[in-house]
Amino acid sequence: METQQKDTAKIKEAIKRRKRVVYQPVVPDMQLGFVHHNVDCIGCRACEMACKDKNGLPPGPRFRRVQYVEGGTYPDVYAYKVNMSCNHCAQPACLPTCPTGAIWKHKENGVVDIDSTLCIGCRRCEAACPFGAPQFDPSDGLVKKCNLCIDELEAGRKPYCVAACMMRVLDVGPIDQIREGKFESKAIGPHDTTVRAIKNLANPNLTNPSIAFVPHSKAKVDI
Amino acid sequence: MSDTLKLLKSSLNMTRRGFLKTTAVGTAVAGGLVGKPRDAEAFAYEPYYTDDQLETVVTSCAHNCGSRHMLVAHKKGDVIVRLSTDDGTHEGAAYGTDTEQVPQVRGCLRGRSYRARLYSPERLLYPMLRVGARGEGKFKRVSWDEALSFIAEKMMYIKNMYGPASIVDQSYAGASWSVLHKSDQIEGLLGRFLGIFGNRITSWSVPSYQATTFSSRTTFGDIKDGNEDDAYAHTKLMIMWGWNPAYTFHGGNTFYYMRLAKQRGCKFVLVDPQYTDSAAAYDAWWVPIKPNTDAAMLAGMAHYIFVNNLQDQDFINRFTLGMDFGTMPNWAIARGFENFKDYILGNGYDGTPKTPEWAAEVCGVSADDIKKLAHMYATTKPAALKASWAPGRAAFGEQYNRMAAAVQSMTGNIGMLGGCAEGVGKAWSGEGVGYPYDKYANVWFQAIKSDCWAHCVLNYPNVKREEIGLWERPDPTDGQIPNIRAIWWQGSDWFNQLTNINKEIAAVHKLDLTVCMDSTITPTAIWADVVLPIATHFERHDVALPWYKGHYYIHRPKVIEPLGESKTDFQVFTRLAYMLGFGPIYNPKASPDYFESNENVDEAYLRDWWYNRVVPNQLIPQEQEIIEWEEFKRRGIYKFKYDHPHVAFEEEIKHGKPFPTSSGRIEIFSTELANIPDFTKTKYGSYIPPIPKWIEPWEYLGAKEKVKEHPFHLITPHPRWRTHTIFNNVPQLREVYEQEVTMNADDAAKLGIKTGDTVEVYNNRGKVVVPAYVTERCRPGVVVIHEGVWMDLDENGVDRAGNPDFLTLDEPSPAGAFAYNTILVNVGKTDLVHRPGWDKLATARSHVFRRDT
Repeated sequence: METQQKDTAKIKEAIKRRKRVVYQPVVPDMQLGFVHHNVDCIGCRACEMACKDKNGLPPGPRFRRVQYVEGGTYPDVYAYKVNMSCNHCAQPACLPTCPTGAIWKHKENGVVDIDSTLCIGCRRCEAACPFGAPQFDPSDGLVKKCNLCIDELEAGRKPYCVAACMMRVLDVGPIDQIREGKFESKAIGPHDTTVRAIKNLANPNLTNPSIAFVPHSKAKVDI
Repeated sequence: MSDTLKLLKSSLNMTRRGFLKTTAVGTAVAGGLVGKPRDAEAFAYEPYYTDDQLETVVTSCAHNCGSRHMLVAHKKGDVIVRLSTDDGTHEGAAYGTDTEQVPQVRGCLRGRSYRARLYSPERLLYPMLRVGARGEGKFKRVSWDEALSFIAEKMMYIKNMYGPASIVDQSYAGASWSVLHKSDQIEGLLGRFLGIFGNRITSWSVPSYQATTFSSRTTFGDIKDGNEDDAYAHTKLMIMWGWNPAYTFHGGNTFYYMRLAKQRGCKFVLVDPQYTDSAAAYDAWWVPIKPNTDAAMLAGMAHYIFVNNLQDQDFINRFTLGMDFGTMPNWAIARGFENFKDYILGNGYDGTPKTPEWAAEVCGVSADDIKKLAHMYATTKPAALKASWAPGRAAFGEQYNRMAAAVQSMTGNIGMLGGCAEGVGKAWSGEGVGYPYDKYANVWFQAIKSDCWAHCVLNYPNVKREEIGLWERPDPTDGQIPNIRAIWWQGSDWFNQLTNINKEIAAVHKLDLTVCMDSTITPTAIWADVVLPIATHFERHDVALPWYKGHYYIHRPKVIEPLGESKTDFQVFTRLAYMLGFGPIYNPKASPDYFESNENVDEAYLRDWWYNRVVPNQLIPQEQEIIEWEEFKRRGIYKFKYDHPHVAFEEEIKHGKPFPTSSGRIEIFSTELANIPDFTKTKYGSYIPPIPKWIEPWEYLGAKEKVKEHPFHLITPHPRWRTHTIFNNVPQLREVYEQEVTMNADDAAKLGIKTGDTVEVYNNRGKVVVPAYVTERCRPGVVVIHEGVWMDLDENGVDRAGNPDFLTLDEPSPAGAFAYNTILVNVGKTDLVHRPGWDKLATARSHVFRRDT
């Protein structure tokens, strides 16, 4: 009995002592994000190759992934592309899982970045991300991902993937403007509007990803 | 700079920030090694250099796709650290400038992966001589002197023993269409070298597009039947006939201009056994057709147009020959030739009306759909029927291309913006020749259809001229069957690419000499006696231009020093020419030390080209900005500006200039073909009708007996992740695209095949092993394997890589078209092993592909 009381007191004390630290997401001054046209994209993966080349990546890690979706029954078929790298989420799921604090969000533009000198390659971020953005590179045991070519942004240029797009269907800009239809871009055609969510994509309410799509008619969802 | 970019820039903190500290510099700090910068590496995640810390050199890609795009090399020391592409600044405009008139020329996925090829483990660095059996792949490293002396001695021996028609020139476009260092089937550096030497058999038929070349020459008198790609933005109906620009990237910005057309309301149709990515991107109406039956479907469309009187009769009367009775020449009527309309309506010799119902039986497209498409095409103006090359790479492929030209003509969609007469599709013509060009440019002593060499070798001397498509000669050597003793491959992987590879393997052992010049080891090089390492376009000075569509020149300076002991083709031929006694004739600007030092000579050739060819012929005052050679070199690119898109045959249609045919008209009825008395005495070898007709191919789904044993029709289109065989060794590309057989879901279910299963595809000519991709996007009865994968034989001669040319037949069409898409096969599950690449890299597509039901 005494032991039990002692334990209860101990536990209460421990609970008091343990101040739960809640991660406060960085609220960027301006959040950059991608826009991709799911239909007009020919799926050529020039963006992917440009990204791999820029980052010196071997086969394996793919910062940008052009996914092919197809459906229907012969001969009434359809196909479209979903092109994603890191979505530089407003509430990134990867960030709080990092045990070393290697992942952080840039205040000025909302880019989610990994400091590879701190990364221990535990891959927890990889498991946490609902979009598959963090990529483990077995050649050096690090998790790496898209940093929106922040060096190029600094130099006043667009990321390599966007600058590579032969169809001009991928672009980057302030995500609020993209969503409000105020962002002028060749990626968004004259009669197109963008959406936050498409079919088969993780619910955007999870992390609030900074990406918008011009969706295929078969990919529209209500969220 | 666009407003967007200004916004981006102003909203960013421009000071140096964490990212750079923690990468390029940060590693050194963390390791306590401050002050010792590491050398740049080609593929390094760290240290990371920003573009502005690297030296920037404008150059271009250089593979044989027809396009040409800008690559910008960012280098440190002698290492290219990364590649970017056109961003508008190099032509002197603001960053991001990209207009409809002057678009950026952005590199495709292949171009962007070039460094992986440049620095690949397969890169050839030293001359090598074969030590094992031919094809065994055993070589020893030798000096240049030893390698070249070996070749020179063998050449002399072969010439003395077997005469001037015993070495086959199999140069091809592996390093194509640059101004100075040109590998080319007809007029490249090798052709001139062998021509002066006095021993050359040329290979006259072009693997990619001989059917359409024949068709356009015969019909329009010119292969320049193409519009520039900006013209595509102005069409209202685009019929992509077997055309997949999302894969071929044919033309600098073709695919993008088509997107603009779509935004402006253009409707798209795809006639193809596959629902391609082009169909998806342009939201096309898919008309799945049986392979090799295109001419029949087009005939059915022509029938509908004629019986409903939807043809442009005024256009027919003014511009065509033999479209109908009224346009038939009198001499042809007198000699009893039938005209095209009579053939279509059944008033000709076969008495069969080519009704949509008749066509439906042949091509598997319903008569209603044939009528619907014909109606759309005949009533929409302007409408583009883009008759691409692929359906012509078939038995009697020329009939398809000729039939398409007839349908294009009867609707009057030629010579107008938004219409289309393609065909070949070649549009703007650059000045492509900066190398010595004189009477030796194309000397040959016999010329054969390009995939007939093995047949000739194996059956010599019991070969008939018509079996190998021997070109006519105006002297007593006409018709002499060549005794082929050697093959020379320059920038060419033809051993991997010509039809019926097993027959080639049987024939290659009979030769006295095989030489291969390339930058990487290739499947062809494995069969060579001598392998010569050739400098890539990053390692020599040149100028690039598109040969298909696009109007610009891109300067290609030497970006890095040649790797290993590699030399340029021009250096190698010049050295050999000196050894054989004709050095100064072969390379007039060079001295014997050109092999060691080529920079001044190459600069002199290119400068001459600029001032003697480009400036006087193309830089027309008022229309174009005139710039000096030094200024061009400084910028790196020169884009021509035109007020209106170039449209083929505009002069002929709008201003009455005669077509360059013998009649001056669009020859639906061919004067030349009608006047050939004996086809066996011509390069064609067998009969070609003077008007386009449906002719049954030797293998197709309508061949009832043959399909019992081999029920699937295999087609072999061009892949997106290779240019033919080039880039097959880039694992970054193979990671996302697999060499596989595409098959219809119902067909696969009957055979118990699922996506990812390993299957064998076979016929009487060979067998290949590939994984299956099962989809609803493919017509039943049709299977698809992309061409160009590097063959990888097991001990029983089964190709584990999946090269479809083990299944093709080495019997070209009369006009010379390769029958790459005329193959019946069977498919079944197998325990044999598929090998995706020589480096055994495993690839998986499960993570990139998914089905949405």
